Amino acid sequence: MSSDKDIMIEAVDVNKEYRRAGAIIRALADVNLKIRSGEFAIIQGPTGCGKSTLLNVLSGLDLPDSGRIIFDGENIARATEDRLSRLRRQKIGFVFQEFNLVNTLTAMENVESVLWPTVLRQKEIENRAISALRDVDLLDRKDHFPVQMSGGEKQRCAIARAIIHRPRVILADEPSGNLDPQSEKEVMALLKKINKEMETTILLVTHRDLSSYGDKTILMDSGRITKIK
Amino acid sequence: MWRKAILLSLREKKVFTVFTLIYTTLIFLTSLFIGLGFRGELGELAWYFVLIFFGTSLFLSLLYAWILVSRKRRVWATFKCIGYTNKDILVLVSGIIFFTTLVGFFIVIEVLFHYAAIVTYLNQLPDVYFTLEVLVDLLPVVITSGIFIFVQILAFILAYRKVLKVRPIIALKKVGE
Repeated sequence: MSSDKDIMIEAVDVNKEYRRAGAIIRALADVNLKIRSGEFAIIQGPTGCGKSTLLNVLSGLDLPDSGRIIFDGENIARATEDRLSRLRRQKIGFVFQEFNLVNTLTAMENVESVLWPTVLRQKEIENRAISALRDVDLLDRKDHFPVQMSGGEKQRCAIARAIIHRPRVILADEPSGNLDPQSEKEVMALLKKINKEMETTILLVTHRDLSSYGDKTILMDSGRITKIK
Repeated sequence: MWRKAILLSLREKKVFTVFTLIYTTLIFLTSLFIGLGFRGELGELAWYFVLIFFGTSLFLSLLYAWILVSRKRRVWATFKCIGYTNKDILVLVSGIIFFTTLVGFFIVIEVLFHYAAIVTYLNQLPDVYFTLEVLVDLLPVVITSGIFIFVQILAFILAYRKVLKVRPIIALKKVGE
């Protein structure tokens, strides 16, 4: 049985509208959602259903028009930008569809970059980066630049970057969207391993059926949650 | 973070080289014409040239700041997603601008220093029947550094205003979206 203490992310009556070409688009309509600590949740739905908007508001990248976002016990719906930055630095790891690695930095430097603004010493940052790269089985590529890596390797590097600061939550936006089927399996298996071994809560957005990897699949359509299975 | 700014600027070889060379030329010419102005050579024309170089360096510094933020919007947006504050990003951007200018200054000072050493040596030789002058004195270089610091502060302000406008959400959009 789960108590409220186990809830890592909670959305309460969240609404979000966009104005595009004069028309108002309701991206999120009365969304209520609870993600437990250590859970692997998958938000699935067709393009334009509001799943990415939901990910954005849950991570504080975008603000809801109304409703509350409780992240690890703190309402972040009206938090300042600096507070949200600190929250992301301390508690959230991001994995992007397009990897978003800095092309002029090596794999090691890309992973380290998360900790550059912290007070940690360079040696400690290097040790953590090596450990994160080892976790994603990419240590032998540490001195390679993104252009020298395959799509799967880039995404594993991005995952190493997402776990270097040992976040409580990993938010993944279509992490296998740009990958071939084999790399997709590897990346999803890696996320599953991180979820189990590090007890990291994972919230993954996808338009494809990846429900076999998750503990919970949230189906969305037209800005609403239609089913949770 | 300053060390990382240096790393980032050195990895952008083309932009770094181009702007370092431009800064080097501008710093040298500004110092030279300030020196000429002090010595009364070229009359008022020297100070008009100083004004032109000041305007050019102001334009280029603002352009450099604009290029650094606008061309790398996705990188800064990604950094914001992974927890960088606007201030952290500004430290990186201003560090890149500052380092590029500093390298320009080092090159100019190095060249002037060696030139002065050669001139002093040649002027001491008994068989030389001409006198060479030191190209630029220390004072014009110091004044030029003041001008460039002022110009860079304006570039930092522009960079900060642009950094504030970079929304982290850009990082989640597909390339070209």
